[in-house]
Amino acid sequence: METEKRPNYLYIFIALAVFTLVETLVSYVQQEAIKVSTLVILSVIKVLLVLLYFMHLKTDSKVYSYLFIAGCVLSIPLILVLTVVMPMLG
Amino acid sequence: MSETQMQETAPVAQRDNTKLAMWVFLGGEAVFFVSLILLIVFTRLTHTDYNAQFRGYLSIPIIALNTFVLVTSSYFVVRALESIAYKDDPKALRNNMIGVIILGLLFLGGQAFEWSELFKEGVNLSSTYGTPFFTVTGIHGTHVFVGILWAIYLLFGHRRTPFTKANHLGIENFGLYWHFVDIVWIVLFTLIYLI
Repeated sequence: METEKRPNYLYIFIALAVFTLVETLVSYVQQEAIKVSTLVILSVIKVLLVLLYFMHLKTDSKVYSYLFIAGCVLSIPLILVLTVVMPMLG
Repeated sequence: MSETQMQETAPVAQRDNTKLAMWVFLGGEAVFFVSLILLIVFTRLTHTDYNAQFRGYLSIPIIALNTFVLVTSSYFVVRALESIAYKDDPKALRNNMIGVIILGLLFLGGQAFEWSELFKEGVNLSSTYGTPFFTVTGIHGTHVFVGILWAIYLLFGHRRTPFTKANHLGIENFGLYWHFVDIVWIVLFTLIYLI
């Protein structure tokens, strides 16, 4: 909210709604590789749309972005414990 | 030191500090929810019969509709913020916040319906897929419920110092929380229901 330049939020909302519809239809596709990759890409796009425009990270101070990214990065040890340490322990 | 002097000498304005605190909180929430999402991923990776044993019980069209409801509520939050921060229109703010509350309640209603259907099918909290499913969607639903309470407070409990164009940070911070809850659901919708 630090600049006066604002996106058209209606377009963002329409994009999110359309992507949700497409995701739902894609979930019925039988080929797993196409299905999973499409769904992951669409999901990432939706998350970025909300973060950048609805939460204003595109125009707000970068400090907020760093804080949020730090939270996600701090999850890496959890991923390592689940995928590397736990299988090693049996 | 008087309050005026403190404001004059403070390196960062007080209202920005609450927003910074909100982002610190959301960073912590990100760690929490990523670990919960990993619980789902780990269960999916270590058990190969997810589709046969669990996914068949999930109603994709109903949850897709529920996802649309939550995304729409996020749009109402943005409209609420815009109506007060740029247009200084408290009536539009109130109407949009009422919309957020109604849509939040609709989402929780949809989730309650889904849970009741799963219980009827025999999926319970102690089953292999039931444990992570009910844990993650339950904690997310609790966040939506807290958001609804917060929205009700902003709507009715904030009358002594009404929001204005110059004083709208309470709505902005609420919006950040609500959008974060929306983001978590976008990820859960893909991971649990669609893939």
